[in-house]
Parts: sequence; structure tokens; C-alpha cells
Amino acid sequence: MSLEQEMALEYAIPPRQRFNPLRWARREPFGAFGLVLIILVSIGAGAAPLLYTTDPQQFGAGAPLAGPCINCSSSDMDHLAYREGVEWREHRLFGTTPRGRDLWSRVLYGGRVSLKVGVATVLIGTMAGTVIALLAAYAGGVVDFAVGRLADMIIAIPGILLALTLHTAIGQDLPDLPGLSRQELTLVLAISAFFMPGTYRIMRGMVLELRESQYVEAAQVVGASSLRIMWRHITPNMFGLMIVITSISLPAAILVEASLSFLGLGVEPGTPSWGADLSGDSQKFFTQGWWLAIFPGLALSMTVFGFNIFGDSLRDTLDPRLRGRI
Amino acid sequence: MTGYIIRRLIAVPFMLIGISFILFMLIYIRPGSAAFISIGSAMSDPANIERFEERFGLNDPWYEQYGKWLGNALTGDFGVTLRTPHQPVADRLADHIGNTLQIGFITIIMAAIFGISVGVLSAVRRNSILDYIFRGVTIAGISVPNFWVAILVVSLPARWWNWTPLATDWVSFTDDPFRNLSIIIWPAMILALASAAGTARLVRTSMLEVFYSDYVRTARSKGLREGRVIWSHVFRNSLIPVVTLIGLQTGAVLGGVVIAELIFGIPGLGTLTLGAVIAQDYPLVLSSLMLFAFVFVVVTLIVDVLYTVIDPRIRY
Repeated sequence: MSLEQEMALEYAIPPRQRFNPLRWARREPFGAFGLVLIILVSIGAGAAPLLYTTDPQQFGAGAPLAGPCINCSSSDMDHLAYREGVEWREHRLFGTTPRGRDLWSRVLYGGRVSLKVGVATVLIGTMAGTVIALLAAYAGGVVDFAVGRLADMIIAIPGILLALTLHTAIGQDLPDLPGLSRQELTLVLAISAFFMPGTYRIMRGMVLELRESQYVEAAQVVGASSLRIMWRHITPNMFGLMIVITSISLPAAILVEASLSFLGLGVEPGTPSWGADLSGDSQKFFTQGWWLAIFPGLALSMTVFGFNIFGDSLRDTLDPRLRGRI
Repeated sequence: MTGYIIRRLIAVPFMLIGISFILFMLIYIRPGSAAFISIGSAMSDPANIERFEERFGLNDPWYEQYGKWLGNALTGDFGVTLRTPHQPVADRLADHIGNTLQIGFITIIMAAIFGISVGVLSAVRRNSILDYIFRGVTIAGISVPNFWVAILVVSLPARWWNWTPLATDWVSFTDDPFRNLSIIIWPAMILALASAAGTARLVRTSMLEVFYSDYVRTARSKGLREGRVIWSHVFRNSLIPVVTLIGLQTGAVLGGVVIAELIFGIPGLGTLTLGAVIAQDYPLVLSSLMLFAFVFVVVTLIVDVLYTVIDPRIRY
């Protein structure tokens, strides 16, 4: 073997291992379980129009406050079918609400709001936080100082109260977007303001670190413009961190959305939403119908739990150094 | 060190003024007439609204309104509520802040005690059954929403035993300390659950990071008892991120108190603020949000000073 061949062998980059989902699942059982939960919830929310049993918005779709049962006949004397003497069976997997809406269908559709608002919030919050951090850290000086103090101030206001104030401040004059109603857009903007300062702080640290790196210095030496350095050299190196921050803030965003809906500041009244279904009207009936208190909360907890454990193991897989920092 | 504290103390008022400006602008741009909501539709006579807005200066341009508010606030006058009876905002806040601080304080103490004990146990017995149980429970703890646990705690006992921890007959701490604590302990425990879970997770990770360091091996090899190795070498060195987290959690706890007060029916700053936000009683909203921010800023300051006590290597 010639010297060149030997050197080639010694310095060869080992072939990149193909990502094997099964091996990952064995190494990160918690993460895999989280992924399963996420997939289940997404199927439930995504395929809600196929899986639902009755229109979630319709009053009196079933007997009011009826317990969960499968393929049962209605015992409600007031029900239209009963009065007309039609034999009539229904599925009430999760029971019905005090106004006779079907809770199973509402929980399915409620997942849509939570996932939609959560994902949109986190995307906007992470993107905006990253862009601001990039610009501020790169501009340095007064700009960096001012943005930093602004972030400090926003962090000092408790998140729920900030979102609450923002929600009432901007609620009226927003447009309806396709697939995102005005109320949902308000929630998204109010909650993403809550995540921006935290993302900004972490990202700023990262930009400062990367700016000192040798390859940025090399790019400066060959005369690359600041814009080019930011776009071609710094931004690609932040994607890993962005993914981790996104996956870790998502469950928190879903929780804030549910809390605001619970306070009555979420979606339009009557629209299925996990937070809203736990509040207001149904709260008075929790002692009569345990299912009212259990199922929307269980769905919410399961979703947040799934995203939490998946996010954790995603962080450990992508960048174990971040453990304990995020 | 003293210089650092003085510098930080000087920054506090500027920061609070900045926060008040942000909040004022947020509240100012909100649509809808505060006067209309405050005096109610029964008095929706335009002349009345005119007089109301005149009286509370709601027609002035924003900079005049803000300047007036700030000038008065600096002398300790926070104005009067828009809703009748127009009580001084300072009095309303003083009536309610005690309960909120009490819940918040008990919550943070309980969260720290439980969080640190569970975290240390989990780290010391890592990869044991106990550790796995604790890890599962803590992830569940940060995943289950506070308000859901709160409504379950309020409604389920009512169904089973005809008893509920709801504060139907509220007494203040000065009137009957024992009864007061027996009411407050419930919301505090529920809020502490999530914070304790977060703390426990961080204690575990940051202790495990230190466990295999050289100085811990040195401490063991010079024959120190295991307990001493863990407390004075591992635990103490893993405290910095934990103290930071407990400081940051103050914000989350203060936010959580709002919802807990609402569910348990406790007359605190949270219930007051919620009511004020909905009624658009802007002097009250502004001042109570400022009070929340003030508490947070003070706690952050204390945390930063604490760093130097925990880790003498840190000097400012």
C-alpha cells in the first residue's frame, strides 16, 4: 500500500451512518413514546372530520349531561327521535355536555385549535426572536443594549398577564386569515410575544459565540459582507438550536393557549377548545358529570406530555450540551 | 460587589419606568371606550360619557396622559379606579397584595424544598427504579396544566365527600391564621407542583454533570463520607442554574397565582387584575401589572446577589 493510500485511509471521513428510527427508539424510549403520543394527537385532530360522531357545535345532538357509552340507545324523553318513536342509537364515547353537545367530537376538534395556535406561536416566536438576536448582536453597541433591556422588561411582566393585556389590546383590529381566524391570530401574536425575549436571549449568546469563530473570521478576511456572513455562515449553524427551542417551547405555548381560553379570552364562544371546554358553563356541572372535567384536561395533558418528552430527547440527540441550559 | 449592587439598584427605577411605558402603550391602543364600559350602558348618554372622559383626562393625547400618570406615580399617587366608587388605586392594591404575596411565597418555598429533595434523590440514585419513577412524575408535573389540577381539586372532593377546598368563607391571615393557611395551602400546593417538577429536573441534570468531575473524585479518594461529598461538593456546585431557575419561576408563579385565585375564589391581586382588564379600568390594570413587574425585578436582583454567596468565585 502506498503512503498516499495509507494516509487516505487514516484521514478518511467515516461513512455517515444512516439514521435508523428503530435504533433511535431503543436508545430514547421516552422520546419514542412521546412521538407516538404526538402522532396519535395529530391524527385525532387532523382526521377529526372523519372520526367525529356528532357535530361538535350542535346543541342537543345527544341527551344533555349523559355519561359515556358506546352504541347505546338514548333515554332522553325530550329527544326528537324518541318523540317520533324512531329506534335510535348513538355513540357517546366521552359523554355529552350540559347542553347536549358531544364531548368526543369536541375534544377531537379542540385539538385542532391547540395544535394550530401552538405551532404558529412557536414558529413566529422562534423566528422573530432569532432574527432580532441576529441583527442586534451583529449591530452591537446601542442597538444591542436597547434590545437587551427591552427583553429584560418584557420578561419582568408575568407571561399570562402580558398575553392577557396584549390580547385585549390587539384583539379587535386583526384580519381573518385563511385557516386562522381573528381570535386565533390574536392568541398567536399575544403568546408569541411571551416567547420572544427568552428565545432572543439564548440566540444572542449563540450569535456572539459564532461570531468569534474562525470561519467567520476567515469570511471577513476574504471580504464577505456582514449580510453574507450572517446568512451563509451564522444562520445555518443556528438551525439545530432553533429546532430544539421550537420543540421545547411548543408544549409551553399549548399550555398558555389553554390557560387563556380557560380565562375566556381564546376562541369564539362555542368553538371547541380544550381550555374553554374546562371553563365557564361546564365548570358548574363537574360534580354531576365527571367526564366534563376529565377528558378535555386529559387530552391537553397528554399532548403537552408527549411534546415535552419528545422535545427532551430531541435535544439530547441533536445537542447534548444544551441539557440543563434550555 | 457593593458597587455592583448600587449600579443594579440605580437601574431598577429606569427599568420600571420603561415597563410602565410599554404597558401604558399596550393599554392605550386597545379599542373601545373605557368610559362606556366603566359607567355602564345605563348611562350611555353621550353627555355623560363626555363628562366622564373629561374628568379622568381620557380625551388628552397619550403623552399627556402618560406624563400625568408617571408624574403622580413618582410621588406615590396612582390615581383612582375608573369604576365607581372611584377608590384610590393604591388602596385597592394594598388590600389585595397581601394574599397574593402569601400564596406566592408559600408556593416558592414548597417548590424549592420538594424540587431540591426529589432532584437530589433522583441524582444520587440515578438509573434506579426510584429515579425512573421520579423522572416520570416530574415530566408529568410540568405537563399537566395548573388550572386543570385546580379545578379537579375543587370539584372532585365535592362529588365524593361533599367537601371542597374552595374559599367560600375567606378569612385574612391576621384574623384567623390557622383557617387562612388551611385555605391557602391548596392553591399553593397546586402551583408548587409544576415549579417543583421543573426544579427537580434541573437539580438532577446539573448534579449529574458535576458527579464525574475531578474534584468529586478527589473528595471521595481523600476519604470523605458520601453525604459530605454530595452536599458540599456536588450539590453546592450545581446550585447556580437552580437558583436562576427558582428566580425565573417567580414570574411563572405570579402568573399562575392569577388563575389559582380565580378558581379558588381568593381575593388577591390576580382576581383584581383580571377584573380590571375585562372592565378596562386602565389605571388599576397599569398599576397592578407594575406591581407584579416590581416584585419580579426585586427577586431577580436578590438572585443575582445570591450568586456571590453560593459561588465566591463570582465577582461583579
